[in-house]
Amino acid sequence: MSYAHITLPRLLLSLALIAVAIALSRRSRLGLERDLVWGALRGAAQLIAVGYVLLLLFNHEHPAWVILLLAVMLAVAAATAARRVEHGPPRTVLFPRAIVAIGAGTLVAVVPVFAAVVPLHPWYEARYLVPISGMMLSNAMNVVALVFERIFASARSEADQVEALLALGATPRQALERQVRATLRAALLPTINGLLTVGLVALPGMMTGQIVSGTPPEQAVRYQIVILYQLVAVAAVAGMVAVGFARRLLFTARAQLVLPRN
Amino acid sequence: MTSTLEARELVVVREDRRILDGASILVPPGEAVAIQGPSGSGKSTFARALATLLEPDAGAVLLGGLDAQRIAPTQFRTRVAFLAQQPAMFEGSVLRNLEAGPQVHGKSLGDVRASELIRAVGLDEPILQREARTLSGGEKQRVALARALANEPEVLLLDEPTAALDPDAGERIVALLRELRARGLSVVMVTHEEAHARALGGTLYRCERGRLAIDS
Repeated sequence: MSYAHITLPRLLLSLALIAVAIALSRRSRLGLERDLVWGALRGAAQLIAVGYVLLLLFNHEHPAWVILLLAVMLAVAAATAARRVEHGPPRTVLFPRAIVAIGAGTLVAVVPVFAAVVPLHPWYEARYLVPISGMMLSNAMNVVALVFERIFASARSEADQVEALLALGATPRQALERQVRATLRAALLPTINGLLTVGLVALPGMMTGQIVSGTPPEQAVRYQIVILYQLVAVAAVAGMVAVGFARRLLFTARAQLVLPRN
Repeated sequence: MTSTLEARELVVVREDRRILDGASILVPPGEAVAIQGPSGSGKSTFARALATLLEPDAGAVLLGGLDAQRIAPTQFRTRVAFLAQQPAMFEGSVLRNLEAGPQVHGKSLGDVRASELIRAVGLDEPILQREARTLSGGEKQRVALARALANEPEVLLLDEPTAALDPDAGERIVALLRELRARGLSVVMVTHEEAHARALGGTLYRCERGRLAIDS
């Protein structure tokens, strides 16, 4: 495999791109300069760190290390999905539920694929398992965050509708059906849009990466197709599980609507 | 067949305040009961607790002598219909709204029954096709009544049904409730308006500081 090496000076050169954004921010008084600097440094630091972690992992490939890394990724994804849910319960309540929702979605998408489509040797082969699981975790995180954000907000703003249905003898599932449907549609839309525009608007990151590093495009494309389908499954499962948790948090065992206080 | 609805010593505490402090009521089958009291006296909380939409911290609600805890909420609320002060209209036509109750129970309403219901609340059939959310306050209140009646409840429980209406529309709603009672339904109406409470006929309870007492 051959690819153009990025030397450190060249890498630093790319900081000029951030400088462009900072200059624009300053000129338009957006006040984003600090965020841009912090974001650029933090993003680079995180990636460099993960690069070393991966290097270490590839050199000492052991199932315990791979699983530990995936667990940390899952925890960070769940913590991100559970924070700043404006009308929802506190993050301590949402965090364990986000773990389950994101974890379930990722498992459903990852296990069958690595068992049947892209067989791994050994099963914990980090080169595949870590980056692909990362993509799944990230998509699940976005879906779960969207579900939490939206379902609690709409239960609050449409509480009178939900209660009117309960008062007519509806079950909590029936009473919240409209809000659940709207929430899941909104949460799945970005993934579905991704399916529809892939290749037309942007070449996906992993495929680009594979092609740049010398994989034949036709193989890179196949990988990408599998990943796209995985992303759909992840979004659907994680979204459904998160909605289930939200529903249980919104109603008592006696089918009473309880809006979380924050 | 209607059943007795009863509340025994309901207590509701919110943020260290006793909103209900041992409120009790007895609604015999086919009777009308008005609960009158100033705003903040706890009467709306009482209505919601009586409808099982809010869990009391102590006390019990009984229907036909059976603790509501032992009746499935879906069944209880089909038998005891609760109407909020400003009933929420569901998206779509008035007809769609009327169909909502039977639909959650896996039944269909039928056009004939829909017409009967809309006439029973003093409206004309053409309104069935109108968008429910565009109706006036009085019309919405009537549609909500018809929607509740579609479930064939035994008890109607209304929280301030006249509060958002002009005096004329309010009086017409009370007259309608009297009519429904005459047909055998039990009616419980919470109101801050003395005149409407008296106009309903039947027993009058006063609500003060979270407790209820019969007005003699």
